[in-house]
Amino acid sequence: MEEEKKAESTNKNVKKVNLLDHNSIKHMLDESVSDIVTSRGYKEDVRLSNTKLILGTVIIAVALVAQFYNKKFPENRDFLIGCIALYVVLNGVMQLIMYTKEKNAILFTYPLEGSFTSTGLVVSSKLPRFSDEYTLTIDSADPKSISAGKSVQFTKSVTQWFTKEGVLVEGLFWKDVEALVKDYAKEEPKKKK
Amino acid sequence: MSFVNRFSDSGKTPWSNQLNRAFITRPSLTLRVLSSPPPLLRLKQGWCLLSELSRRESESQKMGLVGETIDSIKSIQIRQHLTQAISLGMIVTSALIIWKALMCVTGSESPVVVVLSGSMEPGFKRGDILFLHMSKDPIRAGEIVVFNVDGRDIPIVHRVIKVHERENTGEVDVLTKGDNNYGDDRLLYAEGQQWLHRHHIMGRAVGFLPYVGWVTIIMTEKPIIKYILIGALGLLVITSKD
Repeated sequence: MEEEKKAESTNKNVKKVNLLDHNSIKHMLDESVSDIVTSRGYKEDVRLSNTKLILGTVIIAVALVAQFYNKKFPENRDFLIGCIALYVVLNGVMQLIMYTKEKNAILFTYPLEGSFTSTGLVVSSKLPRFSDEYTLTIDSADPKSISAGKSVQFTKSVTQWFTKEGVLVEGLFWKDVEALVKDYAKEEPKKKK
Repeated sequence: MSFVNRFSDSGKTPWSNQLNRAFITRPSLTLRVLSSPPPLLRLKQGWCLLSELSRRESESQKMGLVGETIDSIKSIQIRQHLTQAISLGMIVTSALIIWKALMCVTGSESPVVVVLSGSMEPGFKRGDILFLHMSKDPIRAGEIVVFNVDGRDIPIVHRVIKVHERENTGEVDVLTKGDNNYGDDRLLYAEGQQWLHRHHIMGRAVGFLPYVGWVTIIMTEKPIIKYILIGALGLLVITSKD
């Protein structure tokens, strides 16, 4: 039964990517990073993501109202212009949010439970288009707070974590990321002292 | 046989204690032992009870883990799917809004039309796209206009050949004719109508693109192609992100 269970878990967890598709490599690594950070006890902060979802829904609703409004063309011209202006403004807001707050971030978290000396994390990653260097950065969510740690990052080639067939070797990747998270957690108390 | 006797004195001997401990800490081993017919199974009740308990515990642990992972996968999937659906919706609605903006800018209900018949050759052929614009300028003979006739749902693109304008009110009576037609359009107008008025006219043609309209013609005449195209586009969007 033990062997069966192990076989079952490897069948479920084999993470295979197409090595030629750079987007899917980044996607897979980002997902694994999210898993690792949340498994260390940090809970995911979905407020920003929820705001964007709600904004997106409102934008779609505005467009649908403009489309299905009851009056025919010349009468509803002003209404239509109003809807279009609203749509453009809301899209502008959405782009602003994405540009200022998100940048390369893949995960936002709340501070650790019951801890007063740490803030939430912002985990961001970069994988440039034709390069194989994956850069992972952990920042504090609130740079102006006293208990914010210094930003830590590492840059490694993705070839270190994938086999030739494109299977992600989770053990190695988890080791690197957990070391980074520990590094960040260590930095904070050092700073206070 | 001595084995059995030892167990019968309530399991307080050190050897059976060790075994009990071993079974509690390695329940999976117990499961393996139980599933294949080993000699150990043919022992006394106490052993069976103990292994039964540990088996139930391990099974519930496994079920708990599986249930948890299913839940977490579902919640991640829901969020991802929602994000994808909303991005798709935003792309579609941006196209819609651009169309509406065009409507407002050109002042006509349908700012882009496709020529369906050959009645304006050699100027406009079937499959050309026309850009329309409507303004308050007076309608003059020689202009190419697109108009709707009551009772026909498809608008018609022809040239204005006669205009009667009332000086004080500015109302016009308009007669049109297709360049490639033999007679004027009175046959096409509604029953008893001899002239067009301003409210029939959707706009003047101000620009054209040749051949691009064939896509619309094909999609209208064979709607299955439309569905295939939209299905393929949707599939592309879904598979490209992942």
